[in-house]
Amino acid sequence: MAGLELLSDQGYRLDGRKPSELRKVQARMGVFTQADGSAYIEQGNTKALAVVYGPHEVRGSRSKALHDRAVINCQYSMATFSTAERKRRPHGDRKSSEMSLHLKQTFEAAVLTSLYPRSQIDIFVKILQSDGGNYSACVNAATLAVIDAGIPMRDYVCACSAGFVENTAVVDLCHAEESGGGTVMSLALLPRGGQVALVQMDARLHQDHLDALMEAAMTACRSLGQVLDGVVRQHLQEVSVLTAE
Amino acid sequence: MAPGFKTAEPLEYHRSFLKENCRPDGRELGEFRTTTLNIGSISTANGSALVKIGNTTVICGIKGELTCPPSDAPNKGYIVPNVDLPPLCSSRFRPGPPSEQAQVASQFIADVIDSSNVIQKEDLCIEKGKLSWVLYCDIICLDYDGNLLDTCVVALLAALKNARLPEVTINKETDLAEVNTDKLHHLNVSKHPVSSSFSIFDNTIVIVDPTVEEETLSTAMMTVVTDEDDRLCMLHKPGGSALSGEKLQDCISRAVTRHREVSKLIEKVMDSFEPDK
Repeated sequence: MAGLELLSDQGYRLDGRKPSELRKVQARMGVFTQADGSAYIEQGNTKALAVVYGPHEVRGSRSKALHDRAVINCQYSMATFSTAERKRRPHGDRKSSEMSLHLKQTFEAAVLTSLYPRSQIDIFVKILQSDGGNYSACVNAATLAVIDAGIPMRDYVCACSAGFVENTAVVDLCHAEESGGGTVMSLALLPRGGQVALVQMDARLHQDHLDALMEAAMTACRSLGQVLDGVVRQHLQEVSVLTAE
Repeated sequence: MAPGFKTAEPLEYHRSFLKENCRPDGRELGEFRTTTLNIGSISTANGSALVKIGNTTVICGIKGELTCPPSDAPNKGYIVPNVDLPPLCSSRFRPGPPSEQAQVASQFIADVIDSSNVIQKEDLCIEKGKLSWVLYCDIICLDYDGNLLDTCVVALLAALKNARLPEVTINKETDLAEVNTDKLHHLNVSKHPVSSSFSIFDNTIVIVDPTVEEETLSTAMMTVVTDEDDRLCMLHKPGGSALSGEKLQDCISRAVTRHREVSKLIEKVMDSFEPDK
């Protein structure tokens, strides 16, 4: 099948990266004033915003409140201009609902919800520009936003996508690589303990390759974890300089 | 003492400042917050702009699609604005269908586009009766701290000026449209409307550019839209307390001054913008 060559003979990808190379990550915390915690992340051309409200009283029906821990409510949406074709239904469609559920499950594993019984934590994520790795950008942005809100977590949650092209594991896929038809796996990891919060893959993959793919994804997540850690420390430094007497 | 007083008696708190002719954040009654503008950041959109007035942050993305022109106006295209107030911009908005405020804002922007003629709809027509552009202007509020309408209008204007549409020709033989993405044209923005919002306190004091706390405590809101010929495009005063004729005149003159400030800002940003190929 002619078309885009996802991996060239010299081992370079479409945008010139090596298979195990991540895209450039730029992130900022505390970007919005109305929210309790907020963060903005750019992974290559994918731009994601995450905003956290809470912990606060459970909105809507009181019956949803859990007696021993907090309820995490996530909403994922994409801006209508975020994709090359205008997205007609930014939220409420099946893909967005599935993503929201995945985010909720990921953060229930990481946030110490038992400290806030009978309350609710809202995590809203918005994709402003989509170029592959939507789930990963959302998880990374949401991690920074939850830290900015001061809600305790077990560990950073870092996510990365990985694929298998011509017997090589490639990480941090861009849109062209994701829609190329090969295997795409999303992994969310808590780096310090090496615990996997979420793994999702819907494509055919020979089970011999699974180890290599998981290993590549986990290494990428760990590097992302270090980047996020650097961002948090720098933000704290800036804030402490501003608030110092 | 001040934070406790502010939460317990917000109206008295604001009144004590207004008596001294200033506001809690240190501004004068007629002073706008710092306005910042960033254009062209979203490459998947044909044009984009991110505007901050104080803390209120709004992003506007323009996407062009091809369609048949309306049957009652075969030489015109469409401009479809939409203002979205998602729950992430403020805790007062819940997830679900667009709130009343979002719908009012969308209609306001549609009225501004129509009344100010910012883009001639005839320019959007490619072939009369067969093919025209429809410009979807999606405005998303990211941080709601009062004065949404002004920020939306500036974002829309900047995004329209930044937008570049590919050249479209109709192949005479196949009668199909051919889009040439290598040749991009800017939109012809004929007028530059700028809005200024005011809120009225206690039926008498008029302040400019209210924050969200001032908006909730005000007795009336008003928005004035002017264009560069110092003409009035729109006056929007949805009920509330009455306003005397001379106060209204003051507001209009303040709006005209504001127009000059915003036009200078937009020009400066457009001049310094270098599109990356």
